[in-house]
Amino acid sequence: MANIIEIENLSFYYGQKRILDNISAAFGKSAIVALTGPSGSGKSTFLMTINRLWEEFAGARMSGQVSLFIDQEKLDIYARDISLSWLRRKVGMVFQSPNPLPMSIYRNLALPLRMAGWKNKEIIGHKVESVLKQAYLWSEVKGRLRDDARTLSGGQQQRLCIARAMILEPAILLLDEPTSSLDEKAAREIEALIFSLKEQCTLLMVSHDQAQIKRVADEVMEIVGGRMSGL
Amino acid sequence: MSRVFDYLLYLFAWGSGLILVGAFAVFMGFLLSQGLPALDSSLLFGRTGMVDALLLQRVVIDGLLPALVGTLLLIFLALAAAVPFGLGAGIYLAEYAGKSSKALFSLVFDLLAGVPSIVIGLFGFSLTVFLHKRFTFITPCLLISALALALLILPYLIRSTQTALEELPATLRLTAAALGADQATTIRLVLLPQAAAGILSGIVLAIGRAAEDTAVIMLTGVVVSAGIPRSLFNSFEALPFYIYNAASQFSNQQELQRGFGAALILLILCGLLFTLAWLLRKKVTARLLYHH
Repeated sequence: MANIIEIENLSFYYGQKRILDNISAAFGKSAIVALTGPSGSGKSTFLMTINRLWEEFAGARMSGQVSLFIDQEKLDIYARDISLSWLRRKVGMVFQSPNPLPMSIYRNLALPLRMAGWKNKEIIGHKVESVLKQAYLWSEVKGRLRDDARTLSGGQQQRLCIARAMILEPAILLLDEPTSSLDEKAAREIEALIFSLKEQCTLLMVSHDQAQIKRVADEVMEIVGGRMSGL
Repeated sequence: MSRVFDYLLYLFAWGSGLILVGAFAVFMGFLLSQGLPALDSSLLFGRTGMVDALLLQRVVIDGLLPALVGTLLLIFLALAAAVPFGLGAGIYLAEYAGKSSKALFSLVFDLLAGVPSIVIGLFGFSLTVFLHKRFTFITPCLLISALALALLILPYLIRSTQTALEELPATLRLTAAALGADQATTIRLVLLPQAAAGILSGIVLAIGRAAEDTAVIMLTGVVVSAGIPRSLFNSFEALPFYIYNAASQFSNQQELQRGFGAALILLILCGLLFTLAWLLRKKVTARLLYHH
């Protein structure tokens, strides 16, 4: 299987504290990779090195190299000529707690497209519908697209957030414990959705739930004390 | 002891609210009792017919219509001049400024907020004198008054914009960043729509401040009788100045009563503008956040 992410000698620090310690790893295309390990071991930080989201926080720094293989080209994502906006559209992210923006369901989904410069309302409308169907949400929300997204249930909100990340057709989707704040039923729905997405992109998912990892992951990596190893 | 303190605190809080509401009711009752008898069409249009006055076919000399129009023009011109800069500076302070420049700018804007309006009026007057020496057609006028008022209301707009943006949860910025938005896009598409209600509240405050101020306009262009201004470079009439003049120079009870009538009209005007701003706030919020 061809690789889509290659990481070499990645170390990461918050202030003086080392969070990730000289990690080297590679992840194949169209796979679900589960990242597990004790709390505070650096799993979420690791995810954020792949879309450079850690740069939004003060006092953090890293060393090493992260490369993506996109359109048959190897790209060093920390190179000067890489656009952050482009990178984050190619590497989507879903957070631990559902974080719909305080606006309508429709606008939550249309927003990433508008941010990317899309203007045609009709095409945006089609994309919104398509991604809602993909997230198994269309039948539940088609009559209430103007409602505030925060009125959805927790599970629906998280599916909306996954749909919002998927609307930009990322090559990689980072999932930071996407089911940890949900009940069993909602978590299973998210799992089914995650499983269905693997044909479209590579998924890196942080999870503490060993049964869930067994159900969905193709590959399992563990981070302990800032070091990564395969399981 | 703690229960007694709790009870006393509750009583004090409840009493404070009650006293303020009561004071406001007494104030409004007094104003209505004094102003309502004067409130008729002659107060606005004098001896000029209403239609002729509204169509600007005859000049209103002894009515408040020119002062009402002057006040409205003043508010809108001051807002037009101040809102863009107020928004810009507020966005800068909330989203771009580093620690030291934020402290410096905040100090300057706080000082500006603390400048008495008579001093701003004096500045406007000095500016008029300075400009008049170079461009003789510039005399104390509507434009200078509006610009001086804009300076007066600028701190309200800056602070309300800054506060509205800073109060937004950090997760909004992080979510937008994760979706690929740069800072300008985040501000434009995520933060400003969310902060719109707070920003419009600041504009409402600014409307009130611009509508009531007398000191600034006294030194920069308002006169007792000027008619409806035909250009930005004309002197003008305004309701607060009419009220001040009626209260300080009245020669009989009827003139004072007209002053109270003018005060009621000013309150009604402000009430209407506040309602308009509130409706606008609802509409803008709905349009920015919930329409397709």
